[in-house]
Amino acid sequence: MEQILANGVYLGSQYAMIALGLTLIFALMNVLNFAHGQMYVIGGFVTYTFYGQWGVPFVLALFMSCMTLAVIGALIEKYLFAPVIKGSSREESTMLLAAGIAFLLDALILLVFGEKQRGVPKIVDGVFNWDFRLIMPYDRILICVLAILSIVAFIALMQYTKTGRALRALAQDRTAAQLMGVNVDRYSMIGFALGAMLAGLVGGLLVTITGINLGMGGPTSIKAFMMVMIGGAGVISGAIWGGFILGFLEAFGLAYLSQYGDITYLLIFVSLMIFLAIRPQGLMGKPWG
Amino acid sequence: MNFSAKQILGVAVFLLVIFVGVPMFIAATGRWDFYFTLTSVALLAIASAGVWLTFYIGRINIGQGAFALVGAYVSAILVVKAGWSFWISLPAAGLFAALVAVLLGLPILRLRGVYFAMITLVLTQVATLTALALPITNGAKGITNIPLPSGVSLFGLTLIPDFGQLENTRMAFYFTACILMIITYAALYRLVNSRLGHLCRSMQQNEELASSIGVNITYIRILIFAISSFFGGIGGAMFGSISQSVYPATFVVKDSVDFMLNCFLGGLGYVFGPMLGTLLIYFGWDLLFEFGKYQLLIYSTILIVVIRFLPDGLLSIRFGKGEKK
Amino acid sequence: MSALLQIKNVTKKYGGLTANNDISFDVAENEILSVIGPNGAGKSTLFKMISSFVPTTSGEVLYRGERISNLKPHTVARKGVVRTFQETTIFKSMTVRESVVVAQHLRAKASLAGYFWGSKTARQDVESFGRYADELLEFLGMDSIADELASNLPQGNLRALGIAIGLATDPKVLLLDEPFAGMNHDETMRMVDLVRSVRDERGVTVMLVEHDMPAVMKISDRIVVLNFGEKIAEGSPSEIQNNEKVIEAYLGSADDEIGM
Repeated sequence: MEQILANGVYLGSQYAMIALGLTLIFALMNVLNFAHGQMYVIGGFVTYTFYGQWGVPFVLALFMSCMTLAVIGALIEKYLFAPVIKGSSREESTMLLAAGIAFLLDALILLVFGEKQRGVPKIVDGVFNWDFRLIMPYDRILICVLAILSIVAFIALMQYTKTGRALRALAQDRTAAQLMGVNVDRYSMIGFALGAMLAGLVGGLLVTITGINLGMGGPTSIKAFMMVMIGGAGVISGAIWGGFILGFLEAFGLAYLSQYGDITYLLIFVSLMIFLAIRPQGLMGKPWG
Repeated sequence: MNFSAKQILGVAVFLLVIFVGVPMFIAATGRWDFYFTLTSVALLAIASAGVWLTFYIGRINIGQGAFALVGAYVSAILVVKAGWSFWISLPAAGLFAALVAVLLGLPILRLRGVYFAMITLVLTQVATLTALALPITNGAKGITNIPLPSGVSLFGLTLIPDFGQLENTRMAFYFTACILMIITYAALYRLVNSRLGHLCRSMQQNEELASSIGVNITYIRILIFAISSFFGGIGGAMFGSISQSVYPATFVVKDSVDFMLNCFLGGLGYVFGPMLGTLLIYFGWDLLFEFGKYQLLIYSTILIVVIRFLPDGLLSIRFGKGEKK
Repeated sequence: MSALLQIKNVTKKYGGLTANNDISFDVAENEILSVIGPNGAGKSTLFKMISSFVPTTSGEVLYRGERISNLKPHTVARKGVVRTFQETTIFKSMTVRESVVVAQHLRAKASLAGYFWGSKTARQDVESFGRYADELLEFLGMDSIADELASNLPQGNLRALGIAIGLATDPKVLLLDEPFAGMNHDETMRMVDLVRSVRDERGVTVMLVEHDMPAVMKISDRIVVLNFGEKIAEGSPSEIQNNEKVIEAYLGSADDEIGM
């Protein structure tokens, strides 16, 4: 049991970070970022290149992952999303654009990093063993701690800095924020970059454990969508709840259901649909429509 | 219903190209593989027509892959395990997909916008996982060696020949798929231009106002989603029959996204948009094969450029903004 | 005077907040009744409950003795009680005529399948919809803008379009949501005449929610006044003008809300 709970915390902390980025972008621009999984993959590959191939210290490699994704996110927002949102009357357009960008990033990953599975040397060796009741490699513990620290830092940023306040105002009401003197265009870009950066950071953290490959983008996006739906789209607390709930469900599923084959995710999906039928706005979302 | 001379001419030319032009071209060039490509286009266009219809009530549907998969499995199981004729299993597959759509639609059609899009995307994944988990679908091994469609005769008159006996199965499938596609689009055109279509448009533009003038929006949503999924089921069933096999990965999330892109690329304001979109995306992708590893890069760049500069789809170039076909 | 519409002890609570408390009044056939009150008095909520857009917490609304509250909006519309919205709620990419045609669908005799196959009844329906749309638009003085896209119309016309859509359903009772909001004096007077003629020539009972006091005084047969979710007065325009509670309610509220 302790083992399952620990696995849940470990998975949940990663997932929550992914969901946070997605929900931030959604809250700010009402855009469902299909390319979120691809951004995660790029983050993984960047850390792999710097840390795994060139021997740059891990922390610096992580930083490079964040920066790369922040730049990619900012460019995508400024040159693709912003003009399309302005130019089109249809809500669908941004979603199609996001799908197109997911393909584009996939193509770029293929060209720059190739299609092989890549891994990096362990950042710390050794396994934590508590009487065989709880076994956890030290690197997983470290990654989990780093992830939780990042989440705390993100929340602090949103709560206590000027940027955070501007972003929250923007998420709540675009027009009102503009009237209050928030530079909407600039903060949309910053928010998108921040969301992309979170995806890149998780990618960089997780490459040390699961490695990274091209095919991980799509499934990561789908998981992120699920977490956001569980918690309620566009709500920070919802993303964190959603992430940890999915993490725990997965941990329990793997422990108890794996002998019946690959039905953990099927059950999770089915319960999600039932849940949404009862509560369409998710756990923390506000009722709408 | 009055058609202009231009419209009738357009349809006549289209039919001529499909049923005479293409076979002649293929016979002349010997590119028999085109039959398979064009058959796939026709079938995917049928499924895309369904997605287009859900767009028409203002819902972004990324779940058509699920219904195509359901259709493919239902037909395969009926033919292989129950020994039905393919021609009866085909409508059965469509109806089963529609039934599933009604049951799922009751809860999920309450969701709007991005939420509906996300849940339908998840739905595709659910379909794949269900196919893996259920005993009747035979897990990852799928259902293989599906017999070719048998003949149908009435009073000794052969209505449909036995596909297994035919010299040229590819051409037979091509004609079948094209006929199905034409029926689908004719039905879609009628639907959009009939009262139901007008009610859909009113819902797409404002659900509140629509319900205030007495439109039962819940009922129409479910009806449309069922018709949409019926098209998905038919397309999927036929696809399974042609490839003579169905796997959980026959239709995946990527296919659902493609169906959506097909509709969009042609233009959401035009009934025949998804047909054009499917043709272009399928052929475009094949043509770009020449570029090897740059295929995906060029493909996605073109896609993004189109979305950026032609947000109303390719047909908007010809028809101009706002005009409805 | 028989009551066509009866509002009986209707209460609406949102969490701890009471939007409407125990409101009762009747609307007689063929009258024009206005509901007025300062902002936040619960007028819109009451309206939404009558048209079943929101459920009541308690109490009920009867139309010809039949309950119409806590149903679905489309069911209420089918019974003949139809609401209009403020100007932003329109069918944006339909023309005026298309909007009016689609709104007539309740009068359709043929089934949806009949339309699909193009049955004779369906063709007759389509013809009659077109005729009626032209007639209605002429009646409303909108025939010159019949082929304009709704999204291109100026504000004043949007309100008229909303009424046209409502009227096209052939209602017995029309609920108008702030029909004079944002209009200048001339526009308001024209709209007052229009609403009058809807009642006089089409026999439609009209109930409206409004801020604009002079217009309300001019148009209404009777007025119901709400304040803080409670009904504080009911009577003819002259009775209301001299009612102390009403004057107090209006003077007591924020200055910019005073319409008198």
